[in-house]
Amino acid sequence: MILGHDWAVDLLLQSLARDRLAHAYLFAGPPGIGKTSLALYLARALNCTDPGPRPCGSCASCRKIGQGLHPDVRVLDESEGEGKTAAGEPSEPASRRKPGIKISQVRELQTQAVLSPYEGRRRVYVLCDFQQANVEAANCLLKTLEEPPGSVVLILTALQAEGLLPTIVSRCQVLNLRPLPVRQVRDALRSYWGVEEPKASLLAGLSGGRIGWAIRASRDESLLSNREKYLVALEQAARLNLTERISLAQQLSRDPSALPEVLDLWREWWRDLLLARSGNPGALINVDRAQAIMADAQRYTLHAIQSYLRAIERASQQMDQNVSPGLAMEVLLLKLPRVSTEVSQV
Amino acid sequence: MAGQALYRRWRSRTFSELIGQEHVTQTLLNALRAGRIGHAYLFAGPRGTGKTSAARIFAKAVNCLEPADGEPCNHCSICTSINEGRALDLIEIDAASNRGIDEIRSLRDKIAFSPNECRYKVYVVDEVHMLTDPAFNALLKTLEEPPPHAIFVLATTEPHRIPLTVLSRCQRFDFRRVSVPNLLLKLERICAQEGVRARSEALAAIARHATGSFRDAESLLDQLVSFGVEEIKLEDVERVLGSAPEAVVAGMAQAVISGDAGSGLRWINEALDNGVEARQLTREVLEYLRGLLLIKNGGAQLLSVTPETEKSMAAQAEALTIARLLRAVRLFNGAGNLLKTGSHTQLPLEMALVEACLPEESPGQAQRGPGTVAGEPGAVSAPQTARAAAAGPAERRGPSSRTVVSGSQASSRPASGHVEPPPEPPDPPDLNPRLEEKRAIPPGSTKEASAAGETQAPVRQASVSADPGLAWLQENWGRLLQAIRPKSRQVEALLKSCEPLKMQGDVVTLGFYHGFHRERLNDEHNRRIVEEALSGLAGRPCRLESKLYDGNRQEREKETESSRREELLRNPVVREAIDQLGATVVDVQ
Repeated sequence: MILGHDWAVDLLLQSLARDRLAHAYLFAGPPGIGKTSLALYLARALNCTDPGPRPCGSCASCRKIGQGLHPDVRVLDESEGEGKTAAGEPSEPASRRKPGIKISQVRELQTQAVLSPYEGRRRVYVLCDFQQANVEAANCLLKTLEEPPGSVVLILTALQAEGLLPTIVSRCQVLNLRPLPVRQVRDALRSYWGVEEPKASLLAGLSGGRIGWAIRASRDESLLSNREKYLVALEQAARLNLTERISLAQQLSRDPSALPEVLDLWREWWRDLLLARSGNPGALINVDRAQAIMADAQRYTLHAIQSYLRAIERASQQMDQNVSPGLAMEVLLLKLPRVSTEVSQV
Repeated sequence: MAGQALYRRWRSRTFSELIGQEHVTQTLLNALRAGRIGHAYLFAGPRGTGKTSAARIFAKAVNCLEPADGEPCNHCSICTSINEGRALDLIEIDAASNRGIDEIRSLRDKIAFSPNECRYKVYVVDEVHMLTDPAFNALLKTLEEPPPHAIFVLATTEPHRIPLTVLSRCQRFDFRRVSVPNLLLKLERICAQEGVRARSEALAAIARHATGSFRDAESLLDQLVSFGVEEIKLEDVERVLGSAPEAVVAGMAQAVISGDAGSGLRWINEALDNGVEARQLTREVLEYLRGLLLIKNGGAQLLSVTPETEKSMAAQAEALTIARLLRAVRLFNGAGNLLKTGSHTQLPLEMALVEACLPEESPGQAQRGPGTVAGEPGAVSAPQTARAAAAGPAERRGPSSRTVVSGSQASSRPASGHVEPPPEPPDPPDLNPRLEEKRAIPPGSTKEASAAGETQAPVRQASVSADPGLAWLQENWGRLLQAIRPKSRQVEALLKSCEPLKMQGDVVTLGFYHGFHRERLNDEHNRRIVEEALSGLAGRPCRLESKLYDGNRQEREKETESSRREELLRNPVVREAIDQLGATVVDVQ
């Protein structure tokens, strides 16, 4: 079952029914919205043995695909062939390996692809996060992607089509998947994952429509408690003097792997301020703190909010470029507008 | 497989079907008719312009049993076997997968065998840019003088990655992007033969989005056909592309014009909720702004929009200055780039919109606004107060003394308020005292400043603000150094070993402690660097004077240092460091 993306599911099932299925698809969209799930759904629909509407989800073929056991359906991703890291756990920063699919994996795919399917109708290859594949691997796939052997369907997933070689994109049917409506995520959390109400709304709002994230957060308490911690830190920071801010920055940057998350949270918070300040309170992300946001928003000018968002942006760019995290955080915190009695008027 | 992708099913099969590449097909046809077939060709060009197709057509044409005026017949046994991809003598190599020297060696070993059934063995080496360097080199000799029955066709999207030695052995054909009318022609042909009904504006939208590539256009059409709608309409195309209706884009432009960030954000969020894609939206806004820019500059005929749209766009263009328009273009362009790289959702777009809505603020104003960035008030306010202190008296005195002393530079900086009489006026009575004072420290002329000014350094120091030119110079000294640094580090160092003494009119006087330094700076080249930088800062041409400074350097330095130290202690950041962290001032640089 696929949550959301009705139009994409429609499109795929329609083309299946009319025998117009393309041999190569590219599913593009932000992380955690169900690209790989949709790819596997298509694989099931292609190989389902049930005479009824496909995929049935209960025949042997469907179940095998669900468990990753089907011999004709392969999911290629970077972690293939090595110990998988648990979901949600920060991957160790020390690893020197570049992520992404390698040319050797693509070559292996090519040698297998010419064989006819073992038990299904079509061989399906799902290549995950193809924007991370290196240039050699991507080029290596070009000819296969254009004219694969008869029974093969290739499905690439990527954050966005722009990140790939244009020659790759032009060979695929591109489906741009969008984040789900927040309402749908909330309902899904309630009915399928048994999340209680206030939490379901909150998670749905925070997920920004990324159902995968919402589900992970519903299982993993630490995601929420971390959020609490970092937002409180942000609120406090605005009241601190310069010295205390520096020590806060040091404290936060002790765990550099958590910083992207911190910055994301702060960015969302300030985006909410931006929305609230400009009179669009309907689209807030941090719904549970709407009041605090509305109150906070009145303290700053649009321009101040804008420039702080830019500062956050800059800090996260700098961290990508290997600037010392401590330094970047210090600068960011020092730039934080100070909430004090003198400047509290608008 | 019945469901073959459109771009595979409708691959061109003859040269005449290959639309939009007449410069290539004509040349090849002429060569075929004349029987002058080369042994190595290179087809280069963007994706989806017909390189691989042309290579296959060419392979058919040279081998066809009944060629018609150079074109392959597509009926004979050889043509059909090539069309079905089972010909033994058309060897299509995926150079991106077989990119090593070993693959090329095995090719070289086999090339000597004569063809199985055709006249020529045709090697189509696709994506040839991915061959490794050794592989390219291993190919060189074979490529130069292959056996008479072998023809090479290399195809690539990136010809610049191919070694020159390979390029020089091939006849090169550059495929061009296909124009929109040609794309439309092909799309219409496909629709007619597939029995698909499509509105012409929908096809036009597809063609525009394909950016000159047949394959992109055909993939998109394929996707739309898969939806199974009766007739393909513009809305369908928009939905698949995630592009926004015109109203949204126009609404956002209107928000920028009226500076209403709130309504602009509403437009964005509504559009995104309706399935519009943030990047696509950014692109369309940019396109729209470009339209406004065209209208504004009298290029309205370059636009392809309906008359009504053009009218409303013209009204919007009227309401914007070119500067603001350009700024908006820059902002949205930046947002587009951010969206491309990051995993963000719509935030960059929203920020660009808000910033475009805000009135342009000079950095100074921005920092003084209420509730602004806190770290900076601290850091900035010190210089600011210093500047205010320095500027205060200077401005009060500035206009009068300047007009009197050197008339020439009157209007380059704001003469605060009251209208002065033109240069050399009958002295108004109230100016007299100051005039006297000015004259006491000799003004204007160039040879003077020596004795009086410098021997009494303390006096000069105290009267810093009495000379507006010098105050300005000292204020901007750091910026001057910065401006010079990228041009010449040496000159920067030279400037560090001198003191700005005076600025009168457009003559800047620098004092040196050592004759050597002075000579170096007077060197024509160095001097020009400084003068250029100075002129750039002052906004008018400046000349440089230098003289030997005969005071005691160490004493002077001590004085400046102690005054700097005092100033530093007034800085809140420093004070806080001292109070909270127990810092001490060790050195002032």
